[in-house]
Amino acid sequence: MSIVHHPSEAWLLDYALGNLSEPFEAVLRAHVGVCSTCRDTIAFAERLGGEILHTLPGVPAMGDARAICDDHEQRREGMLAVSRARDVAVTDDIEQLVQMYLDSSLDALPWRQIGRGLRLCRLAEQDGARMWMLRGTPGTVLPEHGHAGSELTLVLKGAYFCGSEIFRAGDIEDADENIEHRPVITRDGECICLAVTEGRLRFRELAPRLVQPFVGI
Amino acid sequence: MRMLRATRHVSRTMPNIVTLGDTTPDPAAAERAAETRLLERVRDAGDRAAFERLFALFTPRLTAWITAQGCEPTTAESVVQDVMVTAWTRAHLFDGAKASARTWMYTLARNRMIDHFRAGERRNRAHDGFATIEPVLREDSEPPERDANRARVAALLEELPPEQRRILLLVYVEGRSHREIAEMLGLPIGTVKSRTRLAFNRLRKLMEGEA
Repeated sequence: MSIVHHPSEAWLLDYALGNLSEPFEAVLRAHVGVCSTCRDTIAFAERLGGEILHTLPGVPAMGDARAICDDHEQRREGMLAVSRARDVAVTDDIEQLVQMYLDSSLDALPWRQIGRGLRLCRLAEQDGARMWMLRGTPGTVLPEHGHAGSELTLVLKGAYFCGSEIFRAGDIEDADENIEHRPVITRDGECICLAVTEGRLRFRELAPRLVQPFVGI
Repeated sequence: MRMLRATRHVSRTMPNIVTLGDTTPDPAAAERAAETRLLERVRDAGDRAAFERLFALFTPRLTAWITAQGCEPTTAESVVQDVMVTAWTRAHLFDGAKASARTWMYTLARNRMIDHFRAGERRNRAHDGFATIEPVLREDSEPPERDANRARVAALLEELPPEQRRILLLVYVEGRSHREIAEMLGLPIGTVKSRTRLAFNRLRKLMEGEA
């Protein structure tokens, strides 16, 4: 899998430090599972964290090392997830990976037809972040829209264009309130994406604005 | 409000960074390697004296960091205790080829903090965030054994423009998300992302080739 588009370093730092709501965490975890470049970035983020920790002026600390040794036996077996760069299911099959997280097949999801060759399914919501699965037929043109907050879109299958950029399986499109776009699904196959949005999308055209209250996106 | 240091006086050539082929002794690298050897002695031989030394090295800075993340002092004490118990009981899982001792200890603490906040404890964000990061580069309150690393990391951070350094410290020292930082500083989210990218990639480039 050749991944070209990655989440910004700010997202990966938030992921490394565990600062994200579950929807954003899940979409990034799926990407990190197929992207060795982002796993390397997270590993470096952790290394940098250890170094910056050492710049802090220490404060008096409680506790007794000898008591820990006396009260606890060292173990020689078992596993412990430490690095968030390695605490993911690594695979090249992104569709299978997301199915594992969903505990469902894509076809079994309760898809909702919203016109223009596009189906949508809301998967989760937490702290104002909503996770969606989108499924569009070849050549579908999505309505041009802006954002009220952050939006991360992970391509699971197929591809779409935004302007001169093409996003393929494994890629993440990182958008926010400063970005407007009109995704266009390529003509060579169906496109399935996992997306997380904050707030309502801002559609320019009337038709999607009329449908928006019923869909909730 | 005073941010870190007002002046920049460190050479941009970063003379204290060890690069491949450089035989100049680097006290910061030696300090990092010494910590890793201590943890390996705990892992391989259950060495209590080595653990006591690690305990003395790490608990003051872990306590400072966890408090800066928004934990009450009693919670910070409990979290640090958990981290040190894990370091003692699970030391067999440490692999010096994958991470230094300080990275391993940091990730243990970070994971414990993630569990802690996900379990429902709210971060105490009442304090002034800038007051927390301001002392990071001060050099007048450090015990002698930490001077080498302190100077080295301070020099790395000094390489960054102040607006980038501020964001990186809010991320790492206080655990602020990039969305929170944008709101705190009144900046567009895109500006926070671009400053984070520039700062992070600059440090990554500077630290490449280090032990």
